[in-house]
Formats: sequence, C-alpha cells, structure tokens
Amino acid sequence: MKDVELSAAQSGAGTEDDTLYEVRQKIYPRSVSGWFNTWRWVLVWFTQLVFYGLCWLPWNGRQAVLFDLVQRKFYIFGLVFWPQDVFFLAVLLIISAYALFLFTAVGGRLWCGYACPQTVYTEIFLWIEKVIEGDRNARMKLDQATVGGRKIAIKVAKHSAWILVALWTGFTFVGYFTPIKTLMDEVASLQFGPWETFWILFYGLATYGNAGWLREQVCKYMCPYARFQGVMFDPDTLVITYDLERGEPRGPRSKKEDYKASGKGDCVDCGLCVVVCPTGIDIRQGMQYECIGCAACIDACNQVMDKMNYPRGLIRYSTEHAVEEHWGWNDILAHIVRPRVLVYSSILLSIIAAFVWGLATKPALRVDVIRDRTVMAREVEDGAIENLYRLQVMNVSEMEERYVLSVTGLPGIQLVGDAQISVPPATTHTLTVHIRVPADSARRGANPIYFDVKSLNNLKTAVHEKASFIQP
Amino acid sequence: MQRWIWILFPSFAVACLAEFVFFSVIDPQQLYLFGEPVNYSPIATYSICFFGFWLVGMASTVFSVFLQRSPEEINRRQHRSIGHAHRKTVLH
Repeated sequence: MKDVELSAAQSGAGTEDDTLYEVRQKIYPRSVSGWFNTWRWVLVWFTQLVFYGLCWLPWNGRQAVLFDLVQRKFYIFGLVFWPQDVFFLAVLLIISAYALFLFTAVGGRLWCGYACPQTVYTEIFLWIEKVIEGDRNARMKLDQATVGGRKIAIKVAKHSAWILVALWTGFTFVGYFTPIKTLMDEVASLQFGPWETFWILFYGLATYGNAGWLREQVCKYMCPYARFQGVMFDPDTLVITYDLERGEPRGPRSKKEDYKASGKGDCVDCGLCVVVCPTGIDIRQGMQYECIGCAACIDACNQVMDKMNYPRGLIRYSTEHAVEEHWGWNDILAHIVRPRVLVYSSILLSIIAAFVWGLATKPALRVDVIRDRTVMAREVEDGAIENLYRLQVMNVSEMEERYVLSVTGLPGIQLVGDAQISVPPATTHTLTVHIRVPADSARRGANPIYFDVKSLNNLKTAVHEKASFIQP
Repeated sequence: MQRWIWILFPSFAVACLAEFVFFSVIDPQQLYLFGEPVNYSPIATYSICFFGFWLVGMASTVFSVFLQRSPEEINRRQHRSIGHAHRKTVLH
C-alpha cells in the first residue's frame, strides 16, 4: 500500500507524446495533525473571521469597512478615502510588499503556508472533502470506483457544500463594495442587481475553482511570488529542511533493530512526508520552489519520530547555515539580525512612519476653485466688475461642517451673497460665488486673488486657494 | 491547463491593476461612449471596463503563448503526421 501511495503522490512526467507539458496528477493530501497544522487552523479562523465578519460591523451608522464604488469613497472605520487619496492605497501596497520581503527573508514562505487565501480556502475545502469523502485512501478509492449511486451521492454532497461556501464567500466579497445589509435585503426579497449577482457568482466560481480544483497549481503555475521568493532568501532564512546527514541512508527497519549499527540513518522512508504534502513534493530532495512552507511534512515526520522513539526534527524549520554548522536555535536566532533584514526593516519602518504621518495630517477639507468661463467678466451697478467662480467644497471629515468663505487679494474685493455654507459629512458641495471688485482697483487682464474657506467648528480646518480675477 | 493559465491569469492580474489605476483618476460618470455620455450605472461601467481590460490583456497573452512555442514543437506537428504514414509503410 505504501508503494501505491508513494507512486501516486510523486507527480509523474508527461505520459502523452504530443505535449511538452507535465501532465498533472491529482494530489490527495493526507490530513495531518500537529503543532504547525494547529497554527494554520488558528490563522484560517482568524483571517476568515475578519473576512466574513468585518463587513457586518457597523460604524457611525454605516458599514465600518466599505469600498463604495458608486459614490467613489472608501470607508475604513473612521477614515474616508476619496479618489484624491489613491496615493495612500499605493503606499499601503508598498508597505505590504516590504512586509512580505521582510517576513520572507526571516521566516521563508510564512505567508504561503499560513495566511495566503489560496492556502486558507484550500484548507477549508480539503476539510469539507475529508468530512464527506474521507481521508486520502478513501478518496483515492472513491475516485477509482465505478460510477454508481453511492459515488454520485458523495460527489454531489461534496460539491454542494463547496458551492455553498464559495457562494457565501462571493456574497461577502461583494458586500465590501455594496453595503452588505442592502445586499441581504435583496437576497431576502430575491431582487438582485444584475451586476451584483454576476460578481457574487464570479468570485464564488473563482473560489470554487481555485480551492476545489486548481489547488497547488495556483501556487506552482500562477503565483508570481513563488517564482521570485528566492531573491529574498539567503543562507540564514528559515526554511523547511530535511536533515540529510541525520536521515540518510534511509530505509525501513524494525523498531527493535539497532539501526545505527546497521549503518542506517533516522529516516524510516515511510513516505508520510510525501503523502501529506499539498503540492506533492518530496522535501527530502532539498528545497524546491513548489514548497509552500506549510510544514505539514514536519508534523507528519514528528509523529513518526515519536513512534520510533527517535528525537523529533528530522524535518524541521532550520536555515542552510544552521544545518551545515549544526547550530541550535540560539545561533539561528542570533543570525536574524543581518544586513538584509536590517535594510528591509528600516525601509519598512520609514514607509510606515511616513504613511501614519500622512494619515494623521490628511486634510479634513479640500477646495477647488474654477472660474466660470462662460461669463468672462461683467459690469454691475456702481461700475464694479464681477467674476463668477464655481467652488467645490469637499468635506472629507465624518462630521457635518459649517464653513465661512472669504476672498482677498484686491482692494475693495467682496463676495456677494451668503458667505456661510454647511456641508454634510463626506460630501462635496458645489456653489457659484459672485466676486465684485471696484472698477479702478484691478489691472486689465488677470489679477491673483485668494479664497479662504474656514471651518467654524474646527479652527485648524482651513484652505487658502489661489484664483484669478479678470478685468476687461 | 497551463496554457489556459498563461492566457487567463496574467491578463487578469494586469486588468485588476489597470482598473484600479484608470478609475482612481477617472470618474465613470465623465466617460463618453460614441459621443454620448455613458449612462450605465457606475457598477456596470466598472464591470464592463474591467472585462475590456481583461480582453485586451488576453489578446496580448494569447499572442505571447502563440510565439512561445519552440521550433521543435512547431516542427514536430508536421513531422508526426508524415512520420505516422512513413512508419506504416515500413511496417508493412
């Protein structure tokens, strides 16, 4: 049976003559329990509680996290981002990238093994598969069995469960762009918007396809990070390592046998590390780009080592240097501080500092002044000259604000009409203002003038904006 | 499968980026279609544009995948059909 397991787990080379590509063999990862697997499930619960739950959280009478595409405003708790703030989003992406570099340099593919959505959803889908179809051997048997009532029933049950999870995921995803309560009401009354339905199905299908069918192929053939991770690795990066020196020569043995006397290493060649691997590799062949660092092989191997009464850690998190030099954890930890890590962390910290500073000083008010070009300038009573301006006053804050408008820059310049406006939270108020200047106080042509918009509630919120006044 | 991935996935990733950059600077309400202001709902405009970007990306990746075939692969296709006929005659 072991041989069957091994040969099925090792991905085969192309069998078809007319293709140059490797033919994919379905991988049936055997479930495993252990310290690292527990941690992965902790992360599955954490990330999915955040993802499925956050969209239901209210804040100030609205959804706490909402990317409102219709109004072109992103709400993240107390912060409101306008299209003008796209810079922050770009910086946030840079921060994420540097954080990934740093984690990778120190701990290898921690992201892939524990937090990447592909891993997380595959883990959930595998769990469903295990509950309905059984573990590895039962699944392989079922797939080889002839089509019959039982097989169809089991497959239908599994795919229905997958589709339900996928649809809920799609629904949640769309709930970050359309208020999820509106979406829920639409579901309750069966009146979906066409595009919302489409995107729920689209995202649902992507989840079902990626976590149910594609699985490790996403990591092997689609993920760019898997391809360039090597750039961030160095000999002091923690990776999942098989201790070649300790393990070889591998081979089966009886538990009572003095295997050292017969010249064998610690590896009993049980193949468990291969059958639990979600990407179907043999970690004993050394570091491979397909390894997503999930540590399932460590958990599996440790179980075997315990059974054999051998010390744990034949497969373990270690570094290239540590394995070569037989270092313990103290030496490994001491090598975390090194130029690469220092450079990554200092860049990361400075960008985070700049980002936080930018957020803290983000203006609560923006003003755009556009001169009305349809009316150049006109003469009004007393021979004064009048220009028209369109003012866009954006209240970027989360509270209703009252603003007072004023204008300076030319002798006798005055604003005609009401100089106070109130603007609801996170709203743009557009108004036309008439500016008059006595006939003799401006030169012919364009004269610089300045608009001041000041908040009555908060004296610090003020904008000084330049415009030009045309004297015919 | 890999060929499908090469065509669909990089173009999808680039379409996401293009959508993000394009609509962070352009309001869908400001777009014109055949000289008329676009009167679809914003979500419809975002969605249609996304698929537009994806299609353009796919056109490019299909082209790349087409050019990526090695000389052996192109030659092999012709040789094989000739080879089959040849082998048959030899065997008989």
